[in-house]
Amino acid sequence: MASISLRNVVKKYGAATVIPDLNLEIEDEEFIVLVGPSGCGKSTLLRVLAGLEAIDGGDLMIGDRRVNDVPAAKRDIAMVFQDYALYPHMTVRQNMAFALEMRDLPASEINAKIDAAAKLLDIHPYLDRRPKALSGGQRQRVAMGRAIVRDPQVFLFDEPLSNLDAKLRGQVRAEIKTLSRQLRTTMVFVTHDQIEAMTMADRIVVMKSGVIQQVGTPEEVYEAPINLFVASFIGSPSMNFLPITLEGEQLRLAGGDSLPLDSGLSTGVSGPDLILGVRPEHFEVVPEGQGIPAEIMLVEPLGSDTLIHVRAAEQDLIARVSPDLRPVAGGSVFLRPIAGKAHLFDSATEMRLIGKNGK
Amino acid sequence: MSRKPSDAPWLDWVNVALLVLAGIIVMTPTAWMILSSFKPSHEVTAYPPTLVFSPTGENYATLTRQTPFLSYAVNSLIVTAGSTILGLLFGAPAAFVASWTRITWPAVVALMARMAPGTLFLLPWYVMFRQVDMIGSYWALILTHAVITLPIVIWVLLPYFDAIPRSIFEAAQVDGCSPFRIFRRIGLPLVSSGLAVSSILAFVFSWNFFLFALVLSNAQTKTLIAASFNFIGEGSTNWGGLMAAATIIALPPLILAIVVQRWLISGLTLGAVKG
Repeated sequence: MASISLRNVVKKYGAATVIPDLNLEIEDEEFIVLVGPSGCGKSTLLRVLAGLEAIDGGDLMIGDRRVNDVPAAKRDIAMVFQDYALYPHMTVRQNMAFALEMRDLPASEINAKIDAAAKLLDIHPYLDRRPKALSGGQRQRVAMGRAIVRDPQVFLFDEPLSNLDAKLRGQVRAEIKTLSRQLRTTMVFVTHDQIEAMTMADRIVVMKSGVIQQVGTPEEVYEAPINLFVASFIGSPSMNFLPITLEGEQLRLAGGDSLPLDSGLSTGVSGPDLILGVRPEHFEVVPEGQGIPAEIMLVEPLGSDTLIHVRAAEQDLIARVSPDLRPVAGGSVFLRPIAGKAHLFDSATEMRLIGKNGK
Repeated sequence: MSRKPSDAPWLDWVNVALLVLAGIIVMTPTAWMILSSFKPSHEVTAYPPTLVFSPTGENYATLTRQTPFLSYAVNSLIVTAGSTILGLLFGAPAAFVASWTRITWPAVVALMARMAPGTLFLLPWYVMFRQVDMIGSYWALILTHAVITLPIVIWVLLPYFDAIPRSIFEAAQVDGCSPFRIFRRIGLPLVSSGLAVSSILAFVFSWNFFLFALVLSNAQTKTLIAASFNFIGEGSTNWGGLMAAATIIALPPLILAIVVQRWLISGLTLGAVKG
């Protein structure tokens, strides 16, 4: 129940600058997901918010309070750790009560809060067990319960789903999202899994080398990635990239094939050093002569749709096609980007070029 | 322990033989001490040593008759318990902080103090304690024995604290816990077996330490081990009495070691198998 404001935040470890200069405004009750590859500084940023790491420059505000020098214990935030970090010598109930005892709340109030959280998370049967006697999923719930009873200003999650199996992960993902609606608290969630980011976030913050690349809703970062990095990181399988030369209204591909320029892509820029980005799902299979010829190297049927790994325009590409097409390895198809769905990037700056239609 | 297919049976025999050899080396003096304590004094030094003899309790009787043996034992207990508690009181927080901050040089300094010969400390301490009129006091002995107990506690507990995932302490921080409360509510309970191991080791080493008590105690505060030195006289030594005293002195550490040997072994190897 507080906004967070990071202004020119700098974080160094010795001589190494992990976060050079970071600015981010998180609104009250917003669910923010920090996403990026390992070492991009997302977990460091979360630890900075938690007060577990001091910052070397800038300002950090939680609500209207400047918390640069406020220790973790006094920030009124709750954190769910990657390894859950439950106190092994305490029962689930004691684990959940611990933070409340630190605040000297009366026992009746502590019990009421624990019961409410246990009901919400369905962990009543385990309240008197030690963490050792719980499964991974149960521990995960207890870790969330320990955070919920605090009724904190901000929830922080440090890759809390990475230790769960795929099925449980999907389930807990949905639960956390539901929870965030019920609790109406500001939440910051760190993950390297772009599916988690897409499914849970109000806004996604994509990071690389301690620098924010893009902040936007899941739709924005998916549909209008600001640069090559975001385009390749968000979406699975990754976006395909084809080096092209723009000749008038024609996109000249490596190997000599060409495609007509999509009107939406028209930027006024022409010449070499451009990159065409097309997501696998934004290729359509067309009759011969209307697209680029592609040799099918590998077929991955997923049930709902089929991924084909193809060799086209001297590149290895992946396209998502209808399973009704029944593609076979060794065969060939003709592919074309769906109108209005492809992106153009400047290969020097790696930035996406905005088309005349503003997209 | 299950045998691997490649293990040859003769390796087992070598193992057994080596253990027997080690046992003989360790046990011979101990057995000699215990047997001698039941021999009449003149038979202790007889050559060749007599293996068959009529046991006597005379040496033990002399011990209690001629010396205030019980009060020496009480002195030993006070000094050992006091220095062990002092070691725990300062060593446990020191180990926690060294593990938390990863600043271990103070622990190394403490270890170096422990490894330095005791005589190095003796003269300065004698002068200092005399200036404050503490020679012969329990406190002088307890404080000096802390030089033995403190490094043991620190170095036994360090790997125990290191083995606790850092995130558990961080969770406590986020939960609003002060550093001292983290130590007391989270750290200490999680190293309880380490506390047991370090207390016992500190107790045993302090109990057996001879030099400081010899110089810094007086007739009223003399510890068992320093008092046993009285049996060695110039020209004549009461070997029987000395062996009886040594046997009794060796008992408490021995009993402690047997009671807690399972903990002791897991505690001593913790640093080696961690991670």
